[in-house]
Amino acid sequence: MKEGFRQSMAWLHTWSGLLVGWILFLVFAGGTSAYFRDEISLWMKPELHGAAAATSTDAVAATALAQRHLQDKAATSPRWTIQLPSAREPGIRLSWSGPPAPAPREGERPRRARFESATLDPATGEALAKPRQTRGGDFFYRLHFDLHYMSAIWGRWIVGFCAMFMLVAIVSGIVTHKRIFADFFTFRPKKGQRSWLDAHNATAVLALPYHLMITYTGLVTLMFMYMPWGQEAVYKDDRKTYIAEVFPSSTAFGNQPAAGMAAPLLPLPDLLRQANAAWRGAEASRIVVHHPGDAAAKVTFYRHEGDSLSSNQASITFDGVSGQLLGRGGEDIAPASETRGVLYGLHLGRFAHPLVRWLFFVSGLAGCVMVATGLLLWAVKERQKYAKALAKGGRIGFGLRLVDGLNVGAVAGLPLAMAWFFWANRLVPVDMPERPATEIAWFFWAWGLAAVAGLAWPARRMWQAQLAIGGALFALLPLINPLTGGAGLPTTLTSGNWRIAGFDLVVLLLGAALLAAAWWVGKRKSAKARTTAPIARATPVGELGTSP
Amino acid sequence: MMKPVLLMLAFASALTGFASLSLAMDRHHEDCHGRGNTPGRVKRRGLQAGGTLALLVSLWAAIGVDGPAQGWVLWLGALTASALVTVLVLSYVPRVLVRMLAAAGGLSVLIALVAAISG
Repeated sequence: MKEGFRQSMAWLHTWSGLLVGWILFLVFAGGTSAYFRDEISLWMKPELHGAAAATSTDAVAATALAQRHLQDKAATSPRWTIQLPSAREPGIRLSWSGPPAPAPREGERPRRARFESATLDPATGEALAKPRQTRGGDFFYRLHFDLHYMSAIWGRWIVGFCAMFMLVAIVSGIVTHKRIFADFFTFRPKKGQRSWLDAHNATAVLALPYHLMITYTGLVTLMFMYMPWGQEAVYKDDRKTYIAEVFPSSTAFGNQPAAGMAAPLLPLPDLLRQANAAWRGAEASRIVVHHPGDAAAKVTFYRHEGDSLSSNQASITFDGVSGQLLGRGGEDIAPASETRGVLYGLHLGRFAHPLVRWLFFVSGLAGCVMVATGLLLWAVKERQKYAKALAKGGRIGFGLRLVDGLNVGAVAGLPLAMAWFFWANRLVPVDMPERPATEIAWFFWAWGLAAVAGLAWPARRMWQAQLAIGGALFALLPLINPLTGGAGLPTTLTSGNWRIAGFDLVVLLLGAALLAAAWWVGKRKSAKARTTAPIARATPVGELGTSP
Repeated sequence: MMKPVLLMLAFASALTGFASLSLAMDRHHEDCHGRGNTPGRVKRRGLQAGGTLALLVSLWAAIGVDGPAQGWVLWLGALTASALVTVLVLSYVPRVLVRMLAAAGGLSVLIALVAAISG
C-alpha cells in the first residue's frame, strides 16, 4: 500500500513537473533576475553610469533639490512623485503627470495624462541627461508573471496555473524522494542518469525552504485575482472600501479634487522632518504631492521598505499648505492583511539587505537548475525505453522528440535570448522610435529562432551550439559595455561602483558557466563516441577484446 | 557585537554544521578518508552533536543580525548556501572538506569566544 502511494506520487511529480516545466523555467529565470531589477535597469541606461558613482543620500537635501526642480518645471501638474535616493538608486527620481487631458468627446477613448520624468544628480541638483528608452530590468520582472504578447490577465492565469502545478510537484517530490536525508549531501558526477537525479535532488532539497516559500507566496501575490469570491461576497461592488481596507498603504487623499485657488506649498524638507519624527526616526523613501500650489495640496510620505518584512508600507499625509497632519496609514494593520503583506514582502525580497538578496538570487538559480534538470531527467529516462530500438537504427517517439526540442529551446535558448536582450540594449539606435518594443522584439526573435532550431534538430550539437552562443553573448557583455557608452569594469571596480561592476561580473560568471556546459556537452559526446562506436558497428561480442 | 562579525559567525557556523553532519555519514566519511574508513560510534555521535549545535549557533547569530523575523530568512539562506558549498566540496575536492571544517569551526569558536569575553 505504501509503495503504491509513493508510486502514484512519483507519477504525479513527473507529470505535474513536466507539463509546465518550460514555463516554470521562464518564471524562475525572470524572477531570479528581478531581484536585481534596479541594477539591470541602471546597466541598461549607460548614460547614467557616470552619476551612479555619487554617494550622497541625504534625504532632506535631496527633497529640497527635488522641490526646487519641480516648482520650476512642473508647477501646473496635478501630481508629483519624488523617489528619494538610496544605496540602490543614488539619483533623485522625479515624475509628474502633465495637466489633465481634456474630457474625451463622444466615441473617443479617454486619453491618459502624459507622464514626464527626470533624474537629478543628488550632489548638484542638476537634471541628468535623459537616458535611452528601455524597459530595463522591468521587462524580466513583468515577463515573470505577465508573460508577453497577450493580456496581462491571461498571462497571470497561465503563470498561476503553472505555479499551482509547481506546488503540487514540490510536495509530491518530497513524498517521492525516498532518501531525503541519506542523500542530503550526495552528488555523483559523471554517472549519467544518476548524476541528473542527484543534481535535481540537491538543488531541490538544499533550497527547499526557498522553493516552497517562493511558490506559495507567488500565488499569494495574485490571490485576489485567482480567488475573488471572498472579496465579492463581502464588499460587493464597493471597490473603494475594499482597496482601502485590504491595501492599507494606499491613501484616499489622492482622489480629492483641487480647490482651484492658488496657495504656496510648504517647504517639503520641513514636512519630511515631521514624518521622520512621527516614525521615530525611520526614513521615508517616496513622497507624493497632490495638487501642488493649490489650496487643497496634500503631501504623503511613504516609509522606507527596508525596515520590515511586510510589503505594507506605512504612510503619513500632511496638508501641503497648513502643514496639519491629516492621517497615517499602514501601521495598525489587521492580522490577515499583515500576513498577506509579509508573504508578499517575502516574495519580492525588497526588504532585504544586499546579502539576503544575493542568497535569494543563489536560491533562484538553484531553482532554475532544479527545473532544468527535472526536464532533462524525463528525457534521459524516456530515451532508455528506446535504447534497443535506437541500437537497431530505429527512431525515438514523437513525445520524446518534442520534449527534447522544447528542452533545448527553453533551457539553452532562454539564456541566449536574455543575453541577446542586453546586446539589443546597446545595438538598437538610441533615437529609434518605439525603442523599448524593439529591444523586446529582438529578445523574442532570438528566443523564437532558438526554439524553432531546437525543435527542428534536437541533437547534442544543437545543445552545444546554443549553450556556446549564449555563453559567449553573456561573457562578452562586460566588453561591449564600455565600448557602447557605459562604464567598464576597470572604471567601476576602481571607483567602487559596485552596482554596475556587479552586473558585469555576474554576466561574466553566467557566461563562463554556460561555456563550461557547452564544453562539457561536447566532451561527453566524444567520450560516448569512443565507448559506443564498436557496439554501433555491431561487432560480435567475442571479437571486442581482440579487434585492433 | 558588531553586525558584520555576527554575520560571519552565521555563515561560518552553518558551514561547520553541514560539514560536520556530512562527515558523520559513512559514505562521506569514506569520500574524505578513503574507502572503508567509517567513523566509530563516539566520533559519529560527536560529529552529529557538534553539527547540530553549530546550526543552532548559526540561527542565533542570524537573529542577532536581522532580528527575529528577518533573521530566520537569513538563516535559511545561509543554510542553503553552505549546504551547496558542502555538496560541491564533497563531490569535487572531498579531501578539502576536513580542512574546511577545521577553518570554519575554528573561526566560529573564535568569534563565539570573543563574544563571550566582550559580553
